[in-house]
Amino acid sequence: MPEARPSAMTNPLARLASANRGRQGLWLVPLVLAVLLAIALTLRTSQFLTSENLLNLVAQAMPLTITAIGQLFVILVGGLDLSVGSVISFTTAVLALGAPGYVLVPAVFLLAALIGLTNGFAVTRLNVHPIIATLAMQYIVLGITRVLRPVAGGTVPDVVIASVSGSFLGLPMPVYWGIVVIILAWKLLYGSRFGLHLFAIGGGMAAGTEDAARNFGIATKRNIMLAYVACSCFAALAGVFLAGRIVSGDPNVGLLFELDAITAVAIGGTQLSGGIGSLHGTIIGSVVLALLSNGMNLLNVSPFVQTVIKGGILLFVIGLQSRKKMGL
Amino acid sequence: MAALLTTPLVRRITRVPPAYYVFAGLLIVLWIARPNMLNANVMGIFIRQVAPLGVLVLGQLLVMRVRSIDLSGGGVILLVNYFISSGTFPGASLTFFIVLALVTGTLIGLLNGLMIGLRRSSAVITTLAVGIILVGFVQFMSSGKPPGDVPSIFNQIYNTKLGPIPSPVIFWLLLTLAMAVFLSRSVFGRFVASVGESPVAAHFSGVPVERTVIVAHTLAGFIAGIAALVQTASIAVGSVRVGLDLPILAVAATILGGVVFGRGEGGVWGPFFGVLSFALLFVVMTTFGIGEPGKLIAQGVIILLAAVFYGVRLTKSN
Repeated sequence: MPEARPSAMTNPLARLASANRGRQGLWLVPLVLAVLLAIALTLRTSQFLTSENLLNLVAQAMPLTITAIGQLFVILVGGLDLSVGSVISFTTAVLALGAPGYVLVPAVFLLAALIGLTNGFAVTRLNVHPIIATLAMQYIVLGITRVLRPVAGGTVPDVVIASVSGSFLGLPMPVYWGIVVIILAWKLLYGSRFGLHLFAIGGGMAAGTEDAARNFGIATKRNIMLAYVACSCFAALAGVFLAGRIVSGDPNVGLLFELDAITAVAIGGTQLSGGIGSLHGTIIGSVVLALLSNGMNLLNVSPFVQTVIKGGILLFVIGLQSRKKMGL
Repeated sequence: MAALLTTPLVRRITRVPPAYYVFAGLLIVLWIARPNMLNANVMGIFIRQVAPLGVLVLGQLLVMRVRSIDLSGGGVILLVNYFISSGTFPGASLTFFIVLALVTGTLIGLLNGLMIGLRRSSAVITTLAVGIILVGFVQFMSSGKPPGDVPSIFNQIYNTKLGPIPSPVIFWLLLTLAMAVFLSRSVFGRFVASVGESPVAAHFSGVPVERTVIVAHTLAGFIAGIAALVQTASIAVGSVRVGLDLPILAVAATILGGVVFGRGEGGVWGPFFGVLSFALLFVVMTTFGIGEPGKLIAQGVIILLAAVFYGVRLTKSN
């Protein structure tokens, strides 16, 4: 197939993009976007740069950031997980079952790992396309969630509520969540063999040589399977956070979360063909989305216009990253 | 086990798209449990309900054959529904609305195609983003409230029958037939098949790969415009939610029909029966009193099994 067309290089934005290529992907553009957004909001509104609003921003951005980080693991190996939204709703529904916290909290992660394992098994061992496997899982998990809890209600264990509300050493709890999640994800992606292998597998896939990583002795299928498990567990973590915030189980709370998570990952410069992407890019992508909705709420922009702008940004960012191969 | 899977009989059985088995199975279940449901009038009503989905699937199978996907169909349906029901074009004729719907769909399809074919951006993200923009636009224009009524002529056409068969069903059948002939007889149809099998081989054989992908997406947009007209006629009112789950269902029905990214063994009739299977599934579930959650689970399990069926076969045949 023909290479990426040369005209892309004469485009200044594309040149900026290619200067920042490598394994990390295009993350400078969203960073500039985030800074510009923050500056614009500081100048336009008096409420933006208040500690109250900034903490609000952190709390609002947290579930999306956690989910997007999970999604990143799967996207790095050329996959996609459409079931995370359902897993989030499912987690809140399970947490609101009424059993004590020390039973329910481990249970949700166990169940999420099981869902991820099923996704990964279908993708690697049964050769099902990731979009199809996780789409089917989205339906199944949503169905089970609606059986458990047809409408929002119930109460979640106190320990879950306490973990997200209130503050510790003068800093509100969501900040600690952010720190822990980022350290955990950093360790998994950049401080472990697992993360290195994910980049190797994805890089080979994007180059069209699926066997490259396996020929180097990497257990390709096992690592891809673990990526799906990680993705589901991060989604469950986001579910725990949300359950603590809304203090109940809600079968619809995770609706369309998968789309926002994929948007955040894509805005952060991660290539959907796999192998190229970064944790900081994904975090920046989530922050851009959170800044957008926070800022537009402050400026009283209709939520519908926010949707249009979000979609427009996604289209623009995805248009910047021209690839060698066509495809999903 | 492996030896069993390679016997000619098993190979022949597994070559049939799963949709046919699901359809036959559901038909038998219905025949045993509720034989009185199986008459032309009752079935016609149920099948008429899935006609918009059936039309949309024709576009979906086209783009999935060239290893792409279109998730923007819901946005197209919503936008066309808004144009027709909002009174933006007072006193406009039926012809005007039909042309408007087709032009809208085609332009959106062309945009998808250019982004995916020329810019090579991810098909999932591109069509998803286009869908999000369209939905947001319609909700903004209508302030989140249902816009208004659809001119009554739409519903009058929708309710007509040819003998015992509702005309939307006949329309869907004819369109499917046209697509089947088009894909099997035209040069473009051959291009679609070769790009699906291997884009690299197609490129080196002189097939215009980029153009095929762009045209496939443009046609899918055009077909989404038709689906929007059928859907609008069926609900007869304006809505800000109509058709949003249709693209995903269309993907599911296409897979069930044996067309998976690049592999088109199901042809056009496999997905056709995939849609019919979904219609029948809802009938069976409703008659057995299984609610919304059960339907979701059954839908997911069927998609997964259909895909596993295909995925396993792919491994064995290699």
